[in-house]
Amino acid sequence: MSFIVLIAAGLIVPIFYRNNIFIAKMIALIAFIVAAYFIYQGNSLNAIFPYFVMNKATMIMEFALLATLAAVSLALTGFERPLIAQMLFLAGVSLGLLETNNFFIYVVLFEVIAIISYILVANIRNFYNAEGAIKAFIAGAVASGIILLGFALFSFTTDSFNYAQMNVSGKFTLIAVAIMLAGIFYKLTIVPMHGWAADAYSQVNHAAAAILSGVIKSVVLVATFKAFYKFMIAYPVATVLIFSFFAILTMTLANFMALFQKRVSKILAYSSIAHSGYALIPFAAAASVFSYAGVLYYAIAYIFMQTSVFLILNDFRREAGVKHLHDLKGMGKRAPLHSLFFTIQLFSLAGIPLLAGFLAKAVAFYAGVDAGLWPIVLVAALNSALAVAYYAWIIKHLYFDEAKINSTVKMSAGSLIGQLILLAGTIYFGIVAADVINSTITV
Amino acid sequence: MVAVDIIFAPIFLSALVYFLTRGAQHITKYVALAWFVVLFIISLNWLNQIMHPESYAFAPEVLQYIKATGFLPLGEFLSVPAFGFSLTLQIDALSVAMLLLTAGLLILVVFTSWEEKNQAAYFSLLILFSGPIFGVFMTTNVLWFFMFWELTLVPMLFLVGFWGAEGVEIKKVFNVEIKLPSKVYAAIKFFLYTHVFAMFMFVGFFLLFKQTGYWDITLIKEATLATPALIWWLMFLGFAAKLPTFPFHTWLPDAHVQAPSSISVLLAGVLLKMGAYGLIRFTVELLPATTAKFAMWMVVLGLATTFFAGLLAVYERHIKKMVAYSSISHMGLVVVAVATMSYDGLSAALYEMIGHALVISPLFLIAGWLHHKTHTWYMDEMGGIMKYAPYASTTFILAGMAALGLPGTMGFVGELTIIISSVKAFGWWIAVIALAGFISAGYIIWAVRRAIHGEPSEIVKKANFHMSFPEKFALAVFSFLIVYFGVNPQPIFDIANKAFSFFGGM
Repeated sequence: MSFIVLIAAGLIVPIFYRNNIFIAKMIALIAFIVAAYFIYQGNSLNAIFPYFVMNKATMIMEFALLATLAAVSLALTGFERPLIAQMLFLAGVSLGLLETNNFFIYVVLFEVIAIISYILVANIRNFYNAEGAIKAFIAGAVASGIILLGFALFSFTTDSFNYAQMNVSGKFTLIAVAIMLAGIFYKLTIVPMHGWAADAYSQVNHAAAAILSGVIKSVVLVATFKAFYKFMIAYPVATVLIFSFFAILTMTLANFMALFQKRVSKILAYSSIAHSGYALIPFAAAASVFSYAGVLYYAIAYIFMQTSVFLILNDFRREAGVKHLHDLKGMGKRAPLHSLFFTIQLFSLAGIPLLAGFLAKAVAFYAGVDAGLWPIVLVAALNSALAVAYYAWIIKHLYFDEAKINSTVKMSAGSLIGQLILLAGTIYFGIVAADVINSTITV
Repeated sequence: MVAVDIIFAPIFLSALVYFLTRGAQHITKYVALAWFVVLFIISLNWLNQIMHPESYAFAPEVLQYIKATGFLPLGEFLSVPAFGFSLTLQIDALSVAMLLLTAGLLILVVFTSWEEKNQAAYFSLLILFSGPIFGVFMTTNVLWFFMFWELTLVPMLFLVGFWGAEGVEIKKVFNVEIKLPSKVYAAIKFFLYTHVFAMFMFVGFFLLFKQTGYWDITLIKEATLATPALIWWLMFLGFAAKLPTFPFHTWLPDAHVQAPSSISVLLAGVLLKMGAYGLIRFTVELLPATTAKFAMWMVVLGLATTFFAGLLAVYERHIKKMVAYSSISHMGLVVVAVATMSYDGLSAALYEMIGHALVISPLFLIAGWLHHKTHTWYMDEMGGIMKYAPYASTTFILAGMAALGLPGTMGFVGELTIIISSVKAFGWWIAVIALAGFISAGYIIWAVRRAIHGEPSEIVKKANFHMSFPEKFALAVFSFLIVYFGVNPQPIFDIANKAFSFFGGM
């Protein structure tokens, strides 16, 4: 039912774009709330189709997803209007991706999400948007091809695509999985498949980047973990080697690249890539009972904080023309509310406690220690500490530097409510760890 | 519920306090003062409950627990059974001593920053700071300890970065020249430095949980650890950077010099104590056998810190840097005292921790005040201040004498007990730490000679040495406490007796 509600709302919403954006937003909001209600009742795709199951962990992730998308749609204005319908579609497809227990459906919905993301970035206003969109499209197309190749190879060796019944000990399984992962790493922006993301995230419209880097990545992260869990258990050595190597490579390189950027959006793009690196640690630690909790916690924390920072940057760009770091100077005085939200979410990204970013890292890294990978966790922890350098550098520009202009930047009501929703998520999951952990681990 | 409220209320309400009092800036400090007084009274009450549990109406099993472990249970919150994780609040005599010190210093800091600019933001951040710092000393859960430990950095980043001293720093990073205000440089360096070293501790804590199955330090048994040495070193690095000991001390002179004097008081009086507290709690109390193995490393690092920082202080012209190095030098003594792992040594360490906070604070305050009035940092450009500002000068001399260990002040009792306990533990050679007293005599007396006495310089003649009443009051309280506990150290040793009774106290 929730799926139907979201898709129906997505079809209706465009009627109101031209005349009354407020009604469009309200319809989207109501659709998200109704969908959440149906999910709470356990009445999602699983009630209609086979191959979909619903459990507590999926439910929490879906609530986080719907809350984030509601926050984004409230914050949109002007020419970003078409995004509202796309977010409703995205929500519907994401529910499917999160709930499915069938590898075939996982691959198909993965492609659907890719197509939605192309439409998201196709909202082109200038040369930079076009460059970002093209890069996102080409990288996505290459990724799709690679995934299909791996999937075709895998389909020779298995009789069933159900996660539980898949044959994971076939002759070509390991190669097939490695090829599929190469494609999926494009979407998760793992180094060396990250090049497109650094440009696309920073050059497309920031609202689209918020969804691309925050929402889609989190959903893909959780769904991928569920889809590949059986492979990771079947090939423990390869799992540890592959994921640890790419985790360290990704976070280290991205953090160093972020240090040297002058454009705020580029810093956030590289920070997003670095976070993919941290999120791979629980993948490497699949053997631990905390691995799924780690991935899920990371995705939930990340969906709130990353979406929030890009949305604020979108406001900054629209209201004050912020592009480079030096444009942020004195924003603490000019836009106190924006800066407060921005600072808290950046602290969360940096892993400062009492915010979701910290507990997510704590659980994800603990999964690593639990699986015996403490040296890798130490490297990751030091990386995340060094990453504070560029987050603190943004905060330094916000608060410690004098503004060149003194005009104030006002926050619209929609944006304020959206940010409050995201902040509530960040703080709630920063203090209460019980929900996520209890939903994935039974004592 | 009081316990968890006094940690979380300031964290969430400080922003509210800011927005409510932004229009009437002078009110915020009264709010802060009232809150810190409440904290002090609550801590005093807890102290009484721990020292004399019989006279309170505890349930029999609670009384039993307090007598057996020394911990007063304050409740368990936010429990996550699958992760063995919950916010367990328990305090013993050691944590209460730290809580009292923290609350007392916070009250005095309100007085010393009575005329600070941007009061609403400043005091809101101080209120915010009071939450996590209480959390650090109140929780026995390792992961929550770490969370509060990290959270204290955030208000400090802004307090140092905003209200710090003027000046410009030019740094070269990868051939890129970066020019930024020194206070911002100091604030970010402090934040990054302690944050990076905390990460070692973080991994150490994870290994603790992995190998024992408990996050709570009262439940962890050293014997069940598979790699105690690794955990010990990971944790020690985190505490060593905070203390700071010798190779990891470079953040401190920057942060303490650039911070406003009242914040230097908090940095030296409370934040460094977090390191010492962690060292006692997590090495000596939690992993005694491993600590005994590595005690010599701690002694060597402690001695190196004491002498290295002491000699740097002698060489320094910069008055506040001199005080900052003297502060590091005294923390070195604390490390040596902790390394003795004996009842006497730990009591001496606790006494010196409190003594250091009370002695170094007026020195920082007056150093900052002198800079504020004369606009110079350098002692050789001052001189003859005694003639123009006798009150401040006298307090400076008193605190200085306490720092070099004049009998009748806290410094004397602290250094004497440390020397006695370490000679007892390590043999006669350790008496070389008495030389630290000579070195501190060197820099303190020379500083007094250069800045306080002598011919007044032109700068000093032109300056207007007005001191507001709240500042004078705070200095008077510090002076009183230095002498009071110097003459009558028993109250602090009573607490120490309770805190370290597991070592077979007197």
